[in-house]
Amino acid sequence: MKINKELLKLSGDSMLFKNVLRTLKKQWVQLILLGVIIALSSFGYTSMDYSIGGILEPSEAYFDSSNQEDFSIDMLNFILEDDANYMVTSCGIDPMNLPPTLSLLKTIDSTCYDQIQTNRLQAITDKYDNIQLELRDYKDIYFNFGEDSYKLRVLKENHLIDMSHYVEGVAPITNDEIAISKTFAKSNNLDIGDAFDINGKDYTISGFVLVPDYSLAIFSSDLILDNKTQSPALMTDDEFENLSETNQFVIAGAFINGYNKDEFKTEVIDTYRNDTDLNFVTNVVLTENNIRSGGIYADLAGGKAESIGVSLIISLIALMIVGIMVSKVLNSQRGPIGLLKSLGYKNSEIALPYIFFISIMALPAIFVGYYLGYLFAVPMKDMILEFYLLPTIDVVQTWKTIIISVVIPFTFIIGLGYFLIVNMLNKKPVELLNPQVTSSSNWLTRVVSKYLKQLKITTKLKHLLLYRSSIKFYAYIIGMFFAAFLVLFSFSMSGIYDRMMVNYYERTEVQYIGYCDYVGVCEVGTGNEEVIDLPSVLLGSEEIEIVGLDPSTELHKLFDSKNRDITDDLSIENGIIITRSMSLTRGYKVGDELNLEIGSESRNVKIEGITEEYGGNKAYMARSSLSLLVNDTETFYNVVYSKTSLDTSKYMVVINTDDILKQADQMQRFFNLFVILMIGTSVVIGASVIYILTVMTIEDNFYNISLFKVIGYNNKEIDGMILGGYLGYGILIFILCIPIALLSFHLITIFFARYFNMMFPLKLELWQMGISLIIYVLIFYIGAFVAKKNLEKISLQEAMKLYQI
Amino acid sequence: MSIKLEKVNKIYITGEVQTVALKNVDLEINNGEVIILLGPSGSGKSTMLNVCSGLDTPTSGKILIDTEDISAMNSKELTKFRRDNLGFIFQQYNLLQTLSVRENIEVGREVGVDPFTVEEIVEQVGLTPNIDKYPFQLSGGEQQRVSIARAVVKNPKILFCDEPTGALDEMNAKEILGIIQKLNEKFMTTVVLITHNPSIAIMGDRTIKLNSGEVVDIIVNENKQRASEIKWG
Repeated sequence: MKINKELLKLSGDSMLFKNVLRTLKKQWVQLILLGVIIALSSFGYTSMDYSIGGILEPSEAYFDSSNQEDFSIDMLNFILEDDANYMVTSCGIDPMNLPPTLSLLKTIDSTCYDQIQTNRLQAITDKYDNIQLELRDYKDIYFNFGEDSYKLRVLKENHLIDMSHYVEGVAPITNDEIAISKTFAKSNNLDIGDAFDINGKDYTISGFVLVPDYSLAIFSSDLILDNKTQSPALMTDDEFENLSETNQFVIAGAFINGYNKDEFKTEVIDTYRNDTDLNFVTNVVLTENNIRSGGIYADLAGGKAESIGVSLIISLIALMIVGIMVSKVLNSQRGPIGLLKSLGYKNSEIALPYIFFISIMALPAIFVGYYLGYLFAVPMKDMILEFYLLPTIDVVQTWKTIIISVVIPFTFIIGLGYFLIVNMLNKKPVELLNPQVTSSSNWLTRVVSKYLKQLKITTKLKHLLLYRSSIKFYAYIIGMFFAAFLVLFSFSMSGIYDRMMVNYYERTEVQYIGYCDYVGVCEVGTGNEEVIDLPSVLLGSEEIEIVGLDPSTELHKLFDSKNRDITDDLSIENGIIITRSMSLTRGYKVGDELNLEIGSESRNVKIEGITEEYGGNKAYMARSSLSLLVNDTETFYNVVYSKTSLDTSKYMVVINTDDILKQADQMQRFFNLFVILMIGTSVVIGASVIYILTVMTIEDNFYNISLFKVIGYNNKEIDGMILGGYLGYGILIFILCIPIALLSFHLITIFFARYFNMMFPLKLELWQMGISLIIYVLIFYIGAFVAKKNLEKISLQEAMKLYQI
Repeated sequence: MSIKLEKVNKIYITGEVQTVALKNVDLEINNGEVIILLGPSGSGKSTMLNVCSGLDTPTSGKILIDTEDISAMNSKELTKFRRDNLGFIFQQYNLLQTLSVRENIEVGREVGVDPFTVEEIVEQVGLTPNIDKYPFQLSGGEQQRVSIARAVVKNPKILFCDEPTGALDEMNAKEILGIIQKLNEKFMTTVVLITHNPSIAIMGDRTIKLNSGEVVDIIVNENKQRASEIKWG
């Protein structure tokens, strides 16, 4: 008897498992899609965490050992009164022949230059304690490599702050040696020991170097990150001084004695502009806000946070849907569960198969997501290192990531399932065996019913069937909103790099830019245009680049966000036009009045327009007005724009904009790939959410659909009541999502610009909204079609026996 | 409306197993009759109701309602036929919980060609004070009345009742049967009523006994009585 009882029990237990398995098998499509969503959330977090972890960890050690700057200080290159006095009294330079800039001074008297720089640094440290400063000299070399134009930023070695770090090889010892970034070398099939020509001289690569003030090889306001054509470089000090290129400089600064960035912000950043003794300082930037050196943290940490955020949102949606699905499945099992309870099965015996199969569904999905994330971390890390000049280590699995990516979501899903099952098992068997009776109507139903009183019943039903369960209604709304937002967000990223970079060059007719020497006038041929380009002036006490254009320019017109030509606004007296990136980072708008300072000259100017450019903090002014500020004439220029090629011997530097665009190619490819991935992922997630919700809502209405068919409603009428309601609300949600999404995109763009100095111009075109809506509706109908196909398999009379849930 | 079954068979095939639910059934139900279908579980009474009403199709044979052969209709035609002519009452009331009494009845009224007003029917079933209440606010008997009202508001020619009193106590059951009887007398609606309770037979014109899918007996009720006089057992 005892043996038989045990056998019976075993047989009973296996029946329980069989029953649950068969129930779940019917919903295999939803379960697979749910698995996809769960896998994606695990994948997102894992890949980001491992790829960035493989970079951030060694980077932190590198920044520490190299004493990466905590801040940098930009100074005016122009000679100021104190500098001029020093040159005359201490350096013995003829006051009638004073060089206008420190760069020029260095070519005349390097000792005097060094001393003036020392004076400047001293002036700063006299004012502020707990900081250490070091001057960073550098020179930009342009040369041809094969058919392309290349650029090296040759840095003079520092000994206190921003010291170089060699990943392979050694520092240059002789004057014909050079150290460059490994990425640059590999992109050009160069290795240590190879030599390459720079403007007629061969340099042999002695080592691969990293410099902590250039984690991103950004050497200008253009967002060009082509590590194939540009790199930081180091030579011997002698060779650095021998280079004929213009010496430029910046101050690297570090905190000492426990000083921190908040104190620095309050004591230095917020006060230096008001200090007349420091009138040579144009900008002080904390490393974390400096994209070339520290924006990396914000970038990667922000990317990590963003991916965690996205993963969390996806996980929440997945969990919400898991909760609804588990709840739905369990509710359909009320009768069998009630029966088992009445037969005497323990709660744990009844719950076990459900927990088991939920685990079977969730765990593989989570593991697949985790493992794919781990595998993908390596190419992702390599892709990140295409742009970031940072050390790296192999991707290593960590318990922390496994716990966050696998254990926690799995525990949550199982916990949720267990909670729902226990909730049901606590009910009395007879309650479970009897049909589920609604004991009240929710407030939503009552309110809507009141307002729809006068309408036809078929119209009322469209709404009332939706509100049957408040929780499911909210889940539907939130899920559809999220799906719509994701789809719109991914479309808004399309063309982002073009907006940031390419459009500017394609909109202007300028093909060649010739930079004139500091002294003398450079050639202006037929069809060329004279331009002023001052890279470092003060506007509202921020350092910006200002460009003087003739309002009649044909080569460089200015266009606003609606593509209107606003170049004429330059002719407004004291008017300037700023770039969109400047407007975003500084919060300036049309009508704002600011003070423009160039050397000792200043003038109040008014923002008359915003040109749709994202190339840094730049303003445009009428050349004649700007010229007056520079040298009291209306005819000054220092740059020539041309549509045809310029004789390079007649200019200090000639830049071909095609070369810039070519350099931007790689970045554009990266962005396009990223955008396609984003769109693909968003569409998959959005489609999965819509599909699952649609199928679930149709299944929820099996009973109602059958009842209507029995009463005599035809398919068209039933579709209108069931689908019309859900689709109608779905489309309403989509439409409501659009302004919310647009506002969010706008805020995201401002946020990234203001706090991370990153341009992220999200934009949604009307046609993209249309396509998004079509995708959205298409997935809805596919889901509805599949669900209705399932309904047709159930005979009417059988469907009528299903108790309304 | 009359119903005629001619050699109707219904066989369910599940895998390799064949279940004969109806076997060569010949039957006629006259216009305005109250027919009680009686039989134990598995006798084929639900199947007969389903094929007669177009909820299911026979494997072979014909089903004529007046002159229309519903066994030859496709799904769309059957839906239209049900819409225009038939009403249904189920054991479990099958009300829409989010709709009030009035609204539940309107669901049935919407598809009627020449329906009654909601107020008329609500009065017939004795639910006027409850017209704006929700199902969860009603007793089982009251809910079944709503179900009846929904079924008859469109003025169907035939009313199919599948164990309409199965979930009710004696008092409520008699009241429900009384309402069905009243509607039959007032509107000449043909009624086909399934039950396993033989005591209900006294309210019908004829009782058709089924067993194992066959009609085993047809008893004409010479002494038709009121539903209230049923001796419940």
